[in-house]
Amino acid sequence: MADDELSGGIGRAAGEVLETGSATNEAVAPPPMGRRGKGISVPETAALFLVLVALFAFFTITSKYFFGPDNLVNIFQNVARIGIVACPATLLMIGGQFDLSVGSIAAFTAMLMAVMAAPVGITKTPFAMGLPLEAAFVIAVLGALMIGAINALSVTVFRINALITTLGTLAIFRGLTKVLGDGQTIRIENFGDLGITRVLGLPIPVYIFMSVVIVSIIVLRYTTYGRSMYAIGASPTAARLAGIRTNRAIAIGFLLSAGAAGMAGLILLSQVGGASVNANTGFELQVVTAVVLGGASLAGGRGGITGTIIAVLIVGVLANGLIQLGVPSFWIEVANGVLLLAAVGFDQLRIRLTTSTA
Amino acid sequence: MTFELRAREIRKSFGGVEVLHGVDLDAVGGSVLALLGENGAGKSTLVKIIAGDYQADAGAVEVDGVSYPVLSPRQARDLGVAIIFQEFQDAGTLTVAENISLGRIPNNHGFVSWRGVRDRARKILDQLQVDIDPEATVGSLRVGERQIVEIARSLSGSARLLILDEPTAALSHVEAQSLFEFVRRLRDQGVAIIYITHRLDEVTAVADRVQVLRDGSTSLLTRVAETDRRAMIEAMIGRRMAEVGRPTPSTYLVPDRPSLAWRDASMGRAFSGVTLDVRPGEVVGLFGKLGSGAAEVGESAFGIHQLTGGSLEVGDKPTVLKEPVAAIKAGIGFLPADRKAGGAFLVRPVAENVAIANWPNLARMGMISDRVEARALKRWRDKLSIRSRDDPRQTMGTLSGGNQQKVLLARWLERDSRSLVLIEPTRGVDVGAREDIYRSLRELASTGAAVLVVTSDYEEAVQVADRVYVMSKGSVVAELRGDDVTTGQLLAAAGG
Repeated sequence: MADDELSGGIGRAAGEVLETGSATNEAVAPPPMGRRGKGISVPETAALFLVLVALFAFFTITSKYFFGPDNLVNIFQNVARIGIVACPATLLMIGGQFDLSVGSIAAFTAMLMAVMAAPVGITKTPFAMGLPLEAAFVIAVLGALMIGAINALSVTVFRINALITTLGTLAIFRGLTKVLGDGQTIRIENFGDLGITRVLGLPIPVYIFMSVVIVSIIVLRYTTYGRSMYAIGASPTAARLAGIRTNRAIAIGFLLSAGAAGMAGLILLSQVGGASVNANTGFELQVVTAVVLGGASLAGGRGGITGTIIAVLIVGVLANGLIQLGVPSFWIEVANGVLLLAAVGFDQLRIRLTTSTA
Repeated sequence: MTFELRAREIRKSFGGVEVLHGVDLDAVGGSVLALLGENGAGKSTLVKIIAGDYQADAGAVEVDGVSYPVLSPRQARDLGVAIIFQEFQDAGTLTVAENISLGRIPNNHGFVSWRGVRDRARKILDQLQVDIDPEATVGSLRVGERQIVEIARSLSGSARLLILDEPTAALSHVEAQSLFEFVRRLRDQGVAIIYITHRLDEVTAVADRVQVLRDGSTSLLTRVAETDRRAMIEAMIGRRMAEVGRPTPSTYLVPDRPSLAWRDASMGRAFSGVTLDVRPGEVVGLFGKLGSGAAEVGESAFGIHQLTGGSLEVGDKPTVLKEPVAAIKAGIGFLPADRKAGGAFLVRPVAENVAIANWPNLARMGMISDRVEARALKRWRDKLSIRSRDDPRQTMGTLSGGNQQKVLLARWLERDSRSLVLIEPTRGVDVGAREDIYRSLRELASTGAAVLVVTSDYEEAVQVADRVYVMSKGSVVAELRGDDVTTGQLLAAAGG
């Protein structure tokens, strides 16, 4: 099926070119594109950084609690989960794909672990297994990867686009989370280490976040896998014709995304001490906002981890700062939505500028 | 009254270059005029002026005795002029009947009259004596039928002059025959027809008169019965027949064993019974117009299309290439016709564009550095005269079409592919870069590589290939060697 679609594209494209005839041939050579299209360019990341600094300055001046060590650690603690998921999400976006199911994956994974570990008979849900924490943890991670595999299969083999696929899994696994937990919050005992324990003053999730960042930077810049995602995003057909196994690369991207989302879910489970059926709703929105704001293009082929990280911090600082100022939390959701639309609008502008000069 | 359209002294320039130098054209009801000419001869520009799509710089179009120096698309349509383009302009998800009434659906106070839609379709399809179900979805029809629905639509809108732009380009032989019959029937019903083509056999099959354009002027205008193929070919290509030089034969001793061979190969409706081979040390041309199946033959060597019959042999062994990766591993390199969609990564660096196919060999433990890619670019930059800045991060999109094509060629040289298949390698490429590419291909062959150039440009075939296979309507119709490879011979073979 994949073959038909791609080759059909080539056949059509060939036909179109033939018809233009020689009169228009001179016009085919594109004019120089200038600074455009260099992946994420330095000025763009710098502008993002300035926004971050400005927000920092603003909240430092307006709130006396904002710029304290406790609150800064707090911010890092809060953005860690978004950041962990935003890195593979950036990878996917560069390849022209995205994953809206990360919130549901996080919730499902947490619920799966809580239910597996819940003592039989005492907990209300019929699925309680009373397994040791280690076993429950492994099962939960496998559960997350399974959802990633479903996404991957749907997108690459059944050619259902990523938006629809992950909207579907978003709904399916939010529903299954409720089924598993029988609509209740399921408590988990003795699982505080992952989310709460501090090493050298910083909680463990911050270290996980930093490791994911470093690994992602290396993958995207220096590995053929990361580079092939840029190629796929730039032109899927050309990537296939250059010998890249595009389906495999995209499938790996969805598995990484699901794995990271599962990890984010387990971190929250550890922090809160229980899995709630409504945990992580809107998480995908925060992730997508960060990725797009960070400069990864919805059209694929462009973006980088640096931009995403700064954007993650912007999202985190904004949420935290607004809370410090006493703004009701509902407004933070509004701010997040505005930020997403602004980021996408900016990206569309960029796509138009690039394609009109290309 | 018989429809009469007379275009007089039509001139048209684009960007300061005059492409029509005062051309006359007469289209009369009940007669088929074949408009013949190469790409760029001015055929499309001329008919677009007649249809009001372009405005002439000088001259006028006269319809039924009234002269129109300026003709708007709306006016032209009201006068009964309709063009049927090669690309379908229909709504594929709607039915035949709905398409025929598209844009002017019969209605009662804003409610669609389905009876009116059906009746109108029935009437025009009956008048045209075609057996197409008005309730069928247009997207489910065969290409030829779909074309007829478009014609029916314009006639139902009371068209009196029908301009057909290379209507058989995408048709099978059988479909083309029934189209000819259909065109003759329209003519007998009094419709005026301008039939654009570059296939000579079609001229004899359907046209009453033939007008040949060359470089924006009429080079031949006569009744079909009073001319022959040779005269028409000469009128089309003129003195340029002698201009293109033949390549110096390869210094490589060409062995008998081919690198790539098709044995009685077929693929769906695209081509059938194709047998041809490409041996190490030679550049082979596969010449065919759009729709001849030539491009699909080339693509089948790269795992893009699967053969439905016969076999493909790579290095003497029958091989099934399931996907491009397999073809690359078998030592085949491929340059697609559409450089932008299928070859170049415009937003990525030039160096990466060169190295990408060779990543498996260049990478160390899955890691690839910019330095390694820069070296890959450096290896081929001078050899292929790629004109880029001395900056490996420069993006591909900033290069000219010709240089992009050289980069894509470098990709397969870097990969050390010993068989190369190139589809329309110099389309959209300026003359200088074209010569560079031909020279590179010849050099490549003299080091023992096997090169297949699929082209619809006969000058290209003459200039670069040692031997040329000619394809028409899905079959190989001729194989020309040595001194037999001339533009005239190619054109005659492809038209027949």
